[in-house]
Amino acid sequence: MSKILNIIICGIAFCSYSVLANVAPFNGDVFNRIKNKNLGKQWLMVLWSVDCPACYKELALIKSLRKENPNIDVIIVNTDGDDEANAESYQVMEKYQLLDITTYFFEEGTADRNRYVIDPTWYGELPRSYFVDTKGTFHGKSGLVEPALLRKWLL
Amino acid sequence: MNTVSKSITQVLSLLSLLLCISASVLAAHNHAAMEKPDKNVCEGVDITCAKTVTLAFAPNGDLWRVWAADSAIYYQISLDKGTTFAQAKQVGIPAEKVSARNENRPKIAFDNANGVYFSWASPLSQKYTANVRFSYSNNYGKSFSAPITVNNDNLLAGHSFNEMHVSKKGDVSIVWLDGRKSHALRKQGKSSKGSALYLAQANFRNNTSSSFTNEELADGTCQCCRIAMDENKSGNLAILWRHVFGDNIREFAMITLNEKPKIQQYSQDYWHIAGCPHQGGGISVDDNNTYHTVWFNQGEKGKGIFYAQTDDMGATHSIPLSIGELSKQAAYGNVMSNGNIVDIVWTQFNGIEHTLWHQRSTNYGQSFGKAEVLQTAKNGIDRPFIIKHNKVNYVSWQRPNQGHWIQAL
Repeated sequence: MSKILNIIICGIAFCSYSVLANVAPFNGDVFNRIKNKNLGKQWLMVLWSVDCPACYKELALIKSLRKENPNIDVIIVNTDGDDEANAESYQVMEKYQLLDITTYFFEEGTADRNRYVIDPTWYGELPRSYFVDTKGTFHGKSGLVEPALLRKWLL
Repeated sequence: MNTVSKSITQVLSLLSLLLCISASVLAAHNHAAMEKPDKNVCEGVDITCAKTVTLAFAPNGDLWRVWAADSAIYYQISLDKGTTFAQAKQVGIPAEKVSARNENRPKIAFDNANGVYFSWASPLSQKYTANVRFSYSNNYGKSFSAPITVNNDNLLAGHSFNEMHVSKKGDVSIVWLDGRKSHALRKQGKSSKGSALYLAQANFRNNTSSSFTNEELADGTCQCCRIAMDENKSGNLAILWRHVFGDNIREFAMITLNEKPKIQQYSQDYWHIAGCPHQGGGISVDDNNTYHTVWFNQGEKGKGIFYAQTDDMGATHSIPLSIGELSKQAAYGNVMSNGNIVDIVWTQFNGIEHTLWHQRSTNYGQSFGKAEVLQTAKNGIDRPFIIKHNKVNYVSWQRPNQGHWIQAL
């Protein structure tokens, strides 16, 4: 019987992996779900664009931290809102080995609206990182974050 | 294991497999959704679908508007200052990719002998690599020259955010952000501090040039903001761009070719950011050789859009005037002087609707009238730009999926 259970557990685990191995559109409802799911946790939201060289450095930092702990609480959102850029963005997620977690993207034409939903005082400069504390308060920072700060927050 | 258990195991294995297949299909579907535009998204070469539109008046008063689609550049001509346009035409050059989103877009200019000039950035095989490209017509668009690459380094490096100026005599000046130095540093395993501002010049009329000169004007520029350029009263080019000063202080800098070629820090807002603001400035020189400028910063000392003017080519400037409402996402300022008039346009956003705003000075920028809304947009916007013909300024605002909008100010 335990063999049967193993098969069920393995099957479900593998399926979950497959389901999560993708990228999902971002919107206000998704944002609320992300916030609710992470309530009580200390987590990080990283916003990036394929047209932002410094963003790749931040993604590389996330990649290296995930090597130390694959379960760090990070949400990654591409802000391009452009079909062409979104296709590139998938390759970038692949390159930085981020396809085993759900990462998000802005659908074509929704960039401004989604940016506003996240933070109406943010003007789209990138990378943009939100350090969210256990009370759910967002602390925004524009530009590449110091590796030590990321490490302290996430590990 | 008995027969019943074996059967249960087989059924469960099959069930798991089926679940996995459906999950993989779901994942694949999500991937596919990113690569192909969904059915509500504009497709095709029509200008309505364009992410960016560039406008310029020909010396005869015809208004040309330009956009990129499907590895080609398209244009339309209006004989009535933008009220109606003739059928779209494709620039007759071989297909190649054209950068046309956010701060990057093709450029158009004219000389006074039926010359029409195009420049654009064409992305290459690797990320952040592109060439600045150029083609011109000496017969008002009947035919175009075979495109040439403006940057002369022959490197798979970044060359992008091109701006172009063409004199009446056909002297072409193109500036762009150049990555050849950072490319070389990367090869040595070193990191670079931004890009470089480059200038290329040529004159293809009367066969006086066959290629462009290349000259570095400034090293250590921001990598992702468009450049602004205008000709001053001595016929020299004034250039405003975002530079990286010290430890990632991204401020606007100015030079005037031949007259003030040394980099001068222009804005003093102290924006410390190791990242991409994605917002360039605007410059327009008036009849008195006063430079009118707008820029955007989110610095410790200054946040939002600012207007200032300088009478000494950027050595000093007037006290910056805050433009638009910072709390309403005021961004993407552009400026144009015309006689005693100085027009500024910018956009704001309330979470649902974008608004295009306008403010006018009738005393050379000494004071400005009340800000007014000109137009609205949904589903994303391009940056607004002001162009002029004789004594009239016109604003151009591309609203993807909604329509390109032009109005005399």
